[in-house]
Amino acid sequence: MSKLQLRGVRKAYGATVALRRGDMKLDRGEVHVLIGSNGSGKSTLCKIVAGSVRPDGGEVLIDGRSVEFSGPNDARKAGIGIFYQELSLAAHRTVAENICLAALPVSGGVFVDRAKVAETARRYADLFAEVAGTGFSLDATVESLRADQRQLVEIMKTLATEAPILIFDEPTSALDRAQVDCFFGILRRLKEEGRSIIFISHRMDEIFAIGDRVTVMRDGETIETDRIADTDHDAIIRRMVGEKGELAPPAEAANDAASGGGQVILKVEGFSGPGFSNIGFEVTEGEIVGFGGLHGQGQSAVLRALFGATPGNSGSVVLDGRSMSAARPRAAIREGFAYISGDRGRDGAIAGRPILENVTPIHFLKNRLALARPSHLRNKALPALEALKTKYAGLASSINSLSGGNQQKVIIARWLIDRPAVLLLDDPTKGIDLQTKTDLFALIRELAAEGMAIVLYSSEDAELLNNADRILVFNSGAIARELTGSDRTRYNLYHAAYEAA
Amino acid sequence: MSDTTVIAGSAPRSFRRFIERFPFLPALVILVVLLALNGLFEPNSLSYRAIRGLISTYLALILLSVAQTYVIYAADLDLSVGAILSLVNVGIIMLMQHLGGSPGGVLLACGAGILIGLACGIVNGIVVAVLRLQAIVATFATSILFTGLALYVLPVAGTPAPTVYWRTYGGTFFGFPFVFYVAVAIAIVLFLIARTRLITQLLSVGDDQQAAYQTGLPVTLIRLKGYALCGVFAALAALCVTGDTASGDPLVGGEMTLNSVAAVVLGGTALSGGVGSVTGSVFGALIIGLISSLVFFVGTPSEWQNLVQGLAILLALMVGVLVGRRAKS
Ligand SMILES: Nc1ncnc2c1ncn2[C@@H]1O[C@H](COP(=O)(O)OP(=O)(O)OP(=O)(O)O)[C@@H](O)[C@H]1O
Ligand SMILES: [Mg+2]
Repeated sequence: MSKLQLRGVRKAYGATVALRRGDMKLDRGEVHVLIGSNGSGKSTLCKIVAGSVRPDGGEVLIDGRSVEFSGPNDARKAGIGIFYQELSLAAHRTVAENICLAALPVSGGVFVDRAKVAETARRYADLFAEVAGTGFSLDATVESLRADQRQLVEIMKTLATEAPILIFDEPTSALDRAQVDCFFGILRRLKEEGRSIIFISHRMDEIFAIGDRVTVMRDGETIETDRIADTDHDAIIRRMVGEKGELAPPAEAANDAASGGGQVILKVEGFSGPGFSNIGFEVTEGEIVGFGGLHGQGQSAVLRALFGATPGNSGSVVLDGRSMSAARPRAAIREGFAYISGDRGRDGAIAGRPILENVTPIHFLKNRLALARPSHLRNKALPALEALKTKYAGLASSINSLSGGNQQKVIIARWLIDRPAVLLLDDPTKGIDLQTKTDLFALIRELAAEGMAIVLYSSEDAELLNNADRILVFNSGAIARELTGSDRTRYNLYHAAYEAA
Repeated sequence: MSDTTVIAGSAPRSFRRFIERFPFLPALVILVVLLALNGLFEPNSLSYRAIRGLISTYLALILLSVAQTYVIYAADLDLSVGAILSLVNVGIIMLMQHLGGSPGGVLLACGAGILIGLACGIVNGIVVAVLRLQAIVATFATSILFTGLALYVLPVAGTPAPTVYWRTYGGTFFGFPFVFYVAVAIAIVLFLIARTRLITQLLSVGDDQQAAYQTGLPVTLIRLKGYALCGVFAALAALCVTGDTASGDPLVGGEMTLNSVAAVVLGGTALSGGVGSVTGSVFGALIIGLISSLVFFVGTPSEWQNLVQGLAILLALMVGVLVGRRAKS
């Protein structure tokens, strides 16, 4: 009998199906790897097992008995410990308090037993004593730690549950080699004790180093489980890609003429900054250059840096033959950059303000307007909104009254009034429905055809493959590979993205 | 992004850790400066008598600020602490009147008062933590409710407290004023409470509610307990107000609510939750008290007193914020 079994577990958030069908069996004393591209439902599956997400359907069985958790506390009592991908630490509490937070030892019924806290925490921290690095101590606040040290604290916190079932959702994404080796040593020991471990990572070498079996997920479904010994790198990637991988690169994007001739609009050389280093590429007139790879490998960071939204960059950026260094977005916009982010709340929408005001800020900035003349602005705004088939009640209604997709159209429209030379798209279709996506990319290709230089980062591989003329695959803040022409296949994209960092 | 840039452009690490560990230090400095200024303008203000007066007058605000601190730890807010104080004040006045002014009756009334505060706190907790209404708006609404109740119990200010009550509060025992004993007892209680599991849990919830939930903490119950604790301390504040004013007033706490919030912030506790100390709030309450007495001592004309007091509090807040920011950068 399996220690843990999932049968047809489902979860949807509104129209997004996060987990279509989760089936898996976890045995005693095994490390079971889950692998799948971004958004394939791995974390959702783990959170359902850990009780922090309630499934819409399906069954979770522990030791053959069906369980239903009312919350994470319930799951913890049932013997499940979890490392959350986004971490679950209290930033202002100390390392020791965080490690013991789930079940703080008390004396006299109410008082925190500090000696016991320190002792327990020490036991788990000592496991990593060699690799924790400077600044790490039990009474340091989590806030003061580096990203890798925080991840170690979350690992210690998970280990401290002493649960028979341990789930690690991307525990190694910020760790260095030595830290990973140390952690794997611990996992092997736990395995020998008979614990059951779910392990998620995007690093292929780690999966082969620690896994016993591997379950591949794709589009919210668990596809197949294999013994690690019976499979290899290519087979796993082929599973992740699925049938779609066999498709030839789409015809529409075969705009090869542009990538060949055209005049260079944007030339970036030796560009470094927080999260990326030594990036170099060119974009010619009318070309769409795609940024690919796993989430957070520096793609967004490069785009934001080009737009002047993050400080501390070095290297050369040449736009239309002029060397430039945008220190802030205001300057970048005047130079001819446009930036559209998928994170509307943070980067785009002026919340609570009318649509008209949301379409025209760039027009104001570029033309240094001092007065708002509604009739003039309306004449500017209407064609831009029209071009995107935006649905709205009236220009005076608040942007919040629109659906996510239509909000995004309003934000894009603001760049269409005065055309930029370079359009930076940072995962622009987050939370947008299929129809709108199609419209949007039709428009983007149209803009390219009119001579705009476009850089597109998308977390959806299909978007890149269908629209980009060239794809630069990012890995750990650097460009790992360039895919052009008929190389632009899903298989190659995954292969480059999952190559050992 | 290297470590060197971090160190080069900012405060030394030791100073930073110091402020991290003792977030109330700026408040303590401001407090000492204010005491010195008070002594400068009115030497008598540092006398034993004056300090005793200061404590008996501001003990209520101190306790109210402490009450507020516990909910702010969890990134909540309670705009009804003043109303709870008023309700408990009129409640115990009426009870003591009914029970007669005997010492037994007075003690019984005090116990009942604390229960009233606890009940109000639980109501707030249910509304905010269980029903998930916005803390600011919800506790504003309950404050109107509690004030309404207080006005029903005692429509106009004036009913006196029994002699034994205010004589005790203002009296001297074994050579020390009663309020000193109260202050010491409160200090011990606060010290003990700071070591409870609940406080660590409140702070963790304030840090990141989602993370606390995913860790397996009973977030709703923890926030509810925070409000209950807040209610109890608001009731204790009411006992002090009653001793100080010796009468019932259904609106006595109204103005104190925002003072309590200001005191908490002055004390270095973040309104966003997760960091702070009750020690800081005590200092913050004393700062507010000393500012009003200083404004009086320097001989500000009465029509200017509010303005000067407001400016002084702003200044104190700015000093605290600037020091905190320097320590962080
Ligand atoms: N709280 C939520 N609300 C709405 N959509 C969500 C939520 N959580 C996840 N999703 C969506 O569900 C899908 C699956 O997400 P999930 O986090 O499980 O992916 P994942 O496989 O863990 O990806 P990654 O490798 O990026 O961590 C994604 O499309 C995601 O956008
Ligand atoms: Mg995930």
